[in-house]
Amino acid sequence: MPSVPTNDLPASQPKISLYEGSTQFKNWRYSADQLKHIRRTLNEAAVAAIRKTFETDEPGSSTGVAFLNADEELLLVKLYITKITQLCGHFRFPEEVEATAITYLKRFYLKNTVMDWHPKNVMLTALFLATKTTNNPISLEMYTTHIPKTAPNDVLDLEFLVAQSLGFEFAVWHAYRALWGIWLDVQNFPGVTEKLETSLYDAALNHVRASRLTDVELIYSPSQIALSAFSLVFPDVASQWMALKSPHEVSTLSTIVDDIKSIITTHGHPPSVESVREVDRRLRLCKNPEKVVGSKAYLARKMDAERSAAEKRNKKAVEVQKAMEDGDPFGNELAEKRGLAGLVDYDDDDDD
Amino acid sequence: MDAVEKANEERQRRWVKDRKVGEGALLRPGREASSGRKVAIKKIKVGQFKDGLDMSAIREVKYLRELKHQNVIELLDVFSSKTNLNLVLEFLDSDLEMIIKDRTLVFLPADIKSWMAMTFRGLEFCHRNFILHRDLKPNNLLIASDGQLKIADFGLARDFADPGYKMTCQVITRWYRPPELLFGSRYYSSAVDIWSVGCIFAELMLRIPYLPGESDMDQLKTIFRALGTPTEEEWPGHTKLPDYVPVGQFPKPPLRDLFTAASADTLNLLNKCLIYEPRKRITARDASLLIFHIFYPVNKLLFSGSQSPLFLRNPLSNIPLETTKMRRTTFRSTS
Repeated sequence: MPSVPTNDLPASQPKISLYEGSTQFKNWRYSADQLKHIRRTLNEAAVAAIRKTFETDEPGSSTGVAFLNADEELLLVKLYITKITQLCGHFRFPEEVEATAITYLKRFYLKNTVMDWHPKNVMLTALFLATKTTNNPISLEMYTTHIPKTAPNDVLDLEFLVAQSLGFEFAVWHAYRALWGIWLDVQNFPGVTEKLETSLYDAALNHVRASRLTDVELIYSPSQIALSAFSLVFPDVASQWMALKSPHEVSTLSTIVDDIKSIITTHGHPPSVESVREVDRRLRLCKNPEKVVGSKAYLARKMDAERSAAEKRNKKAVEVQKAMEDGDPFGNELAEKRGLAGLVDYDDDDDD
Repeated sequence: MDAVEKANEERQRRWVKDRKVGEGALLRPGREASSGRKVAIKKIKVGQFKDGLDMSAIREVKYLRELKHQNVIELLDVFSSKTNLNLVLEFLDSDLEMIIKDRTLVFLPADIKSWMAMTFRGLEFCHRNFILHRDLKPNNLLIASDGQLKIADFGLARDFADPGYKMTCQVITRWYRPPELLFGSRYYSSAVDIWSVGCIFAELMLRIPYLPGESDMDQLKTIFRALGTPTEEEWPGHTKLPDYVPVGQFPKPPLRDLFTAASADTLNLLNKCLIYEPRKRITARDASLLIFHIFYPVNKLLFSGSQSPLFLRNPLSNIPLETTKMRRTTFRSTS
């Protein structure tokens, strides 16, 4: 049936909130248990794979290795979250860049482990990517010259991997935006205005910032986090806001808010440098050798990849040759045959 | 192999590229391996940029990942291959530029209204999501085989800036660029997209570009010649904009002189899209409502089950078969 576009008003489309239509809502929310499970599974798989690589390299070499567990990995990621904050201060990046980069780093480690990819480089890449996705781009050269011991390739080499791990879902909804909204809302409350000093807004904002060191953004919505941060500073006004905005859900919402508040106050601190140093020292001994440039395993893997690429090229050359001999210089049959078999070589660049 | 790499390979296997059409095409036809469904695969080379993934690719992916609407092109998948980023987009046969240029096609007023309705509806969705398109022009409005219009090419799109934050004024293809950007305004709104739609609307009626300036300066002159030089009363403060220059005094000719066949409703809507003062320009939402009301009597007929009036047919159904066929294999190159 042909479409009849004019009998439909914008207002008549199914009513879901903008947030509920976002990739964040659909793909990046978990329960605390799910998070635990994902991290444990990733960690166990990585340990098994690396152990195998060690053994292939030199039998018996994995026995004495103290691999990291999921909690230790998380601790290291947390340390590098604080590094993002430092760098953003240094570059004077807007809050959106910082918050986005931190979200990227967290999401990355729900698909990868620190034993494969060290958070230092991933952090640098996540931050650089965030400057671009939030429309605050700076040149890579400018970026790397201001970061000690960092070459452009340290950032670029991982960009694809990071973008892929994020599922190319770059848009992030942030709690600090929601906090600003609540702040504007409560200005209209009777008898509240005189209590609302800017320094108190800053205090609430600092709670939102502390929340970035925790998992709350992977569990709760930005507005729930913002409300909790606000409630840590203005418990009464926050309750008033809840009663006004969602009178039927006050009790559910209160439970959520209390939960988030307790997570922020217990976990919203930078990790102690001592504890992380110990983890990082052990990581040097147990990281995946296939990902360490120059190691035996890395070279073996690279040679493998090169061999298969060369085979592919040879095979293609033979096929093209054959097509030419068959009298079709454009290789029609070849293309069809490849199309049918589904063997499309996405790596070939001859179509540019 | 990493889980992430594996997932990428699976995505890659889902889509089959067909033979390319034309040399250097960024966009090539393809199919979904399992269903045979036609798709368009847009390949973006990444290795060539010294700053990594380039901004236009990032913008396109960022916004299309979030926007799902019948009048916005659908991004079905994204995967990488070596140094390329591949965007799998829904397949669309044609675009408004091709249709405007095809002299064998006769547009009925209802075709134009229907295209405008779909454009405004898609744009309303973008604006509701706080996204400015910033490059609306006929060849970015694609037409599906069932007649649906889809807004495409989000390579210049961005979120609305917060009040007080500057945006670049070097956006929107010149002929569709509103006067506030030509005067160098760094603070602007969704009204910039509306101006572009107004120009497209006029072009659909005229079948040639409405305001074809030859340079940025000439663009202003072209606009003022067509719509009259704005007065301070019409557009308060415009002489204070950063790049303001007086380009001459032109009288305001009635739109009716140029658009002789247009109905009063049509001219009313066009007029509202091309208001100089951006704050007074019509919004996508109000424009959608206005078009709805223009069509209201017709809708009532439809709802009562009468035969649908002629102009509610598929807007492309009057295209001769050969041209349709040709279009299916012609690909727009995105510049």
